Amino acid sequence: MGAGCKNLRSTVTGRMTTGAAIFRIDGVSKSYGGVKALDSVTLEAGVNEYVSLLGPSGSGKTTLLRVIAGFEVPDVGRVVFQGRDITGLPAHERGIGFVFQNFALFPHLTVKKNVAFGMMNGGVAVPAAEIDQRCQAMIDMVGLSGLEDRGVEQISGGQRQRVALARTLVMQPKLVLLDEPLGALDANLRGRMRNELRAIRERMGVTFLHVTGSETEALAMGDRIVVLDRGRIIQAGTPDDVYSAPSSPAVAHFLNRFNLFDGTLTAGKFTGPFGTVASPHAVRAPQDVYAIRYDRVNVLPLTATVSGPALKATYIASEYLGSSVMNFFETSDGKVVEVEHHLSLGAPEIYVARQDYLLTWNPEQAIVFGREAT
Amino acid sequence: MESRVLKPILAVYVVAFLLFLYGPFFVLTILSFQQGPDGGPQFPITEWSLYWYKQIFGLTPPSRIAPLPVGEALIRSLVLAFMTMVTSTVLGVMSAQAFRRKFTGSSVVFYLIVLGMMVPGVLTGLGTSLLANNVLGIERHWYTTAFATHVAYTYPFAFLVMLAILNRFDGSVEEASWSLGVTPWTTFRKVTFPLIFPGVLSAMLFAFTLSLDEFPRSLFAAGGSGDQTLPLAIYGTFAVEIHPNIFAFGVLTTLFSFALLSVYGILMGLSVRRARKLAMQEDIA
Repeated sequence: MGAGCKNLRSTVTGRMTTGAAIFRIDGVSKSYGGVKALDSVTLEAGVNEYVSLLGPSGSGKTTLLRVIAGFEVPDVGRVVFQGRDITGLPAHERGIGFVFQNFALFPHLTVKKNVAFGMMNGGVAVPAAEIDQRCQAMIDMVGLSGLEDRGVEQISGGQRQRVALARTLVMQPKLVLLDEPLGALDANLRGRMRNELRAIRERMGVTFLHVTGSETEALAMGDRIVVLDRGRIIQAGTPDDVYSAPSSPAVAHFLNRFNLFDGTLTAGKFTGPFGTVASPHAVRAPQDVYAIRYDRVNVLPLTATVSGPALKATYIASEYLGSSVMNFFETSDGKVVEVEHHLSLGAPEIYVARQDYLLTWNPEQAIVFGREAT
Repeated sequence: MESRVLKPILAVYVVAFLLFLYGPFFVLTILSFQQGPDGGPQFPITEWSLYWYKQIFGLTPPSRIAPLPVGEALIRSLVLAFMTMVTSTVLGVMSAQAFRRKFTGSSVVFYLIVLGMMVPGVLTGLGTSLLANNVLGIERHWYTTAFATHVAYTYPFAFLVMLAILNRFDGSVEEASWSLGVTPWTTFRKVTFPLIFPGVLSAMLFAFTLSLDEFPRSLFAAGGSGDQTLPLAIYGTFAVEIHPNIFAFGVLTTLFSFALLSVYGILMGLSVRRARKLAMQEDIA
């Protein structure tokens, strides 16, 4: 585990690794009334790449999309698209698609007219026959056949989402920005739309930049995940990279898969509520934090003797999650520790409420952040 | 308990309200059916007749009572109200659109615009005619100076209506349009304008009705007798003697206003229903 952390750079940028870049933003900053929404962000995306932008609300991810789309002008920095500097170009001359969180369909138009809108009113004149043909093909592709003449207020949320997508894709943009487009849908629809987005991308060869606040969505969809926090990119990499080797306590916290403990790292040893543990492969970070994944914690009776970390905690409750069970324990200082048991590994243990147990784990599987790490 | 006290009070209030609102018009309507040409503007009704209505349209034999000099004045007022409506609404929509973004001096500009409805009308009228006569050398007419004062007065109303409408307008549909390669101007025509149209209709109605019965601003600014607007012409007839023909005319104009309002109400109702259906769909989705 520690070995995987070593090759992380100290200044993280979202540089891509393969293929030609379709777009690049260079040192982009943007403030609103003194608050920095973006702080010198640099990011590249390759042709046909699917990039997930992950971050808590207020991390600047939507602002980043709006700068790329041309709805906002950055204070400093450049936006380059298809080899051209488009920093000062108005949105309608960029040819970059944008799918809004609230879909932003034209409420006074039918499904078909929404999809045809760009071709009918855009700068490039498209023959009527071609408009018709491209519209129909796109409507068929997103599965809206038969709803062409409905008003957009007469269709369901999932259908509206697909109109928004069709309206954007029919313009054949090389880059599509998705601003939490699945946020307004229920879990079932979200899953279906994820599959559809993947299929569309494979068919059309579009670069997607997908902003999401959901770590599962980011992990599921992205070829590459870019994690933003307070206007900065704090980690970029494949879903596996980010998931198994978060570069900072903030990323670990945001992935929502780690128990985080405060403590002190001195001379390769981390001292926390669980005792002192040797931690030779610590990752450099602004504060000392010990992270262990929910599904890496073992629960033992209080009487057991362990050689590694040992944390006394009281069992509170458990949640059944379908494929696993999440057990909640509370330490003496009120901190909740989550322990995940995958049901594929066997039936879950039955714990007694308000009884103390001993939590332990293999220290090799922990990720340790600290100021003194190299 | 509470309603036992409150309800009668409210009932009295409503009755008084209706009485003051519709009472004058009710009396006026009854008196407009007074017998003519000898019947005066007072009770009792000596004989029910349509004489005064006929007199307005010149369908009665000549008598000592001159027909209302409203023909040309009415046309003038309608044309003036129409010109004012178009100008004020265009200005109102444009400036409210400008106020969607903060710009330097926006609050000063805001108060400058709104000033037009604050300043006493007689002062505006007098000031405008003095300015036109003595400084600019422009002849005073209903279509020059009076038009200017009417626009200065109704423009703030149109502006405020549009400001309220655009305040609630979700700009993301415009951004969506831009991102589809549509220019801001076409976006305004094809997306923004159709969506704010109910508001534009309100602004137009405001400007039209305010201009149509505007008196103090026209008094000085409208120029000579060949430039009289309808309110001025009617006021002129008061000066001599009042006959029920004015009441008959009042009833006719009120009916006309009601007709306009009904059309507006129907158009508004349609778009509100559409919006409500949209909101309901969103709740379900």
